[in-house]
Amino acid sequence: MRRDAFSGCHPAVNFLFFVGAIGFGATIQHPAYCAAGCIAAAVYYLLLKGRKGFKMLGGMAVLFLLMSALNPLLNRSGKHVLFTWFGNPYTLEALYYGMALGSILVVMLLWFGCYSEVLTSDKFTALFGRVIPALSLVLVMVLRMIPAFTRKARQILLARRAIGKGASQTGKLTEKAKDGASVLSALTDWALEGSIITADSMRSRGYGTGRRTNFQIFRMTARDYFLLALILALEIAVILLGGTGASFTPRLKIDPIGWGLAVYCLLLWIPTLLQIKEVIAWRISISKI
Amino acid sequence: MRKSTLFSLLAIFVLIPLTLFLGTQVKGRWYYLISTLVIVELMLPFFFRFEARRPQARELVILTVMAALAAVSRVVFAFSPYLKTITGIIMITGIAFGPEAGFLTGAVAAFASNFFFSQGPWTPWQMFAYGFGGFLAGLIFHNHRSWAKPWILAPFGFFTILLLVGPLLDSCTVFTVLSKFTAKNVLAVYAAGIGYNATHGIGAALTLLFVSRPLLQKLDRLQTKYGILEL
Repeated sequence: MRRDAFSGCHPAVNFLFFVGAIGFGATIQHPAYCAAGCIAAAVYYLLLKGRKGFKMLGGMAVLFLLMSALNPLLNRSGKHVLFTWFGNPYTLEALYYGMALGSILVVMLLWFGCYSEVLTSDKFTALFGRVIPALSLVLVMVLRMIPAFTRKARQILLARRAIGKGASQTGKLTEKAKDGASVLSALTDWALEGSIITADSMRSRGYGTGRRTNFQIFRMTARDYFLLALILALEIAVILLGGTGASFTPRLKIDPIGWGLAVYCLLLWIPTLLQIKEVIAWRISISKI
Repeated sequence: MRKSTLFSLLAIFVLIPLTLFLGTQVKGRWYYLISTLVIVELMLPFFFRFEARRPQARELVILTVMAALAAVSRVVFAFSPYLKTITGIIMITGIAFGPEAGFLTGAVAAFASNFFFSQGPWTPWQMFAYGFGGFLAGLIFHNHRSWAKPWILAPFGFFTILLLVGPLLDSCTVFTVLSKFTAKNVLAVYAAGIGYNATHGIGAALTLLFVSRPLLQKLDRLQTKYGILEL
């Protein structure tokens, strides 16, 4: 997996950024902020996903259009009537509102897509291992077991088929369901017996006898402290500067654009800017050779 | 009063009203953010109680295995892509080990399986809804094991999902999609989810119908064989 500069930062930095990006993205319905959010999230998403990201962005565009067009059907208030359908007004204000809602949803989905790429399970457990030690251990183990169980389930399926016990491809649905139930039952047996062995092994190695320590692969560097402070300061600034209010129906009322928007953009562009800085530094170091 | 009980009361009677109050102060679209925060705060007491109990290795591992099984179970029934089995397995866990274990299994299974697909705005809602399904099944059937017959469990699973778990999942959509909260609009969103919830419910009902008896027997046998009494 290709790692970008921001993914290489400490998980706390990543987490704080996404709390802000997703939190603001979900609440602010000011059109300028929504547009800024969409652009920043889309650029970073493409940076993370490469060419594959375009497919998702296409889907997001469709979602945005759908949400915009459908909102006036559910919300009929507003002064400027574009046309009437079955005697109901289709208003401009509601259309704008739909566009804002659509972009909020798009921003959220894109940031969550980035979150899934950046804040992987190991980072999550490194971050929350101290607060919820037992549950984060459970999470780590589940994440390991899911692929293992999937493999085992396939093995059982194939083995049953090989001895002629499996359901035929053209069989009835009940037959297939019964076959599936037997496989699941066998898988459960195997998994539960294994779980007892795992648990006994954990106990004999001293699980639960003392404080659980964590293997910490992530260290806070000077850069991470700087980014943490910067992100926190920008997030507080966005809240304090305000100017994010906007209401659409029954009348358009949108705050004038102020410094808050610039601060918001700076916040959202941090991951991308970090990557750009990294690329430039890399080019310079190559050209020096 | 136990520390964990105190914390649960604190979460429900202080944290949630505070969140709701702050929500009304926010300029802009607070519905999704605040409702999701409330959902997370509702889950906190369960998580905290589990941590405060300092669970033994066996308890922890069995919970893990059940969550992983729930997440994997759909692979076994891959012949029908619409068959969602995860909730059925979570309910069976709740019946065998009690409501709390059911809740945790559901929440963990939902969270973990999202690592393989994608985390999204729906993650906390899925965790809570699946957890709630396991919790309810445990609450009703754990102490009345004679009721846990496949032909009772199947309709129970179907209607729990159609009426409670499914609408909980749809609530996430309500808070993200709607611009105006009238009874008609909200009902429209829930109505749009009925078809999906019904297939989800049928999946769980089939799981409970075919798998509940053998699986419960196995879990009971595990409890007597290795002396795991209560999770």
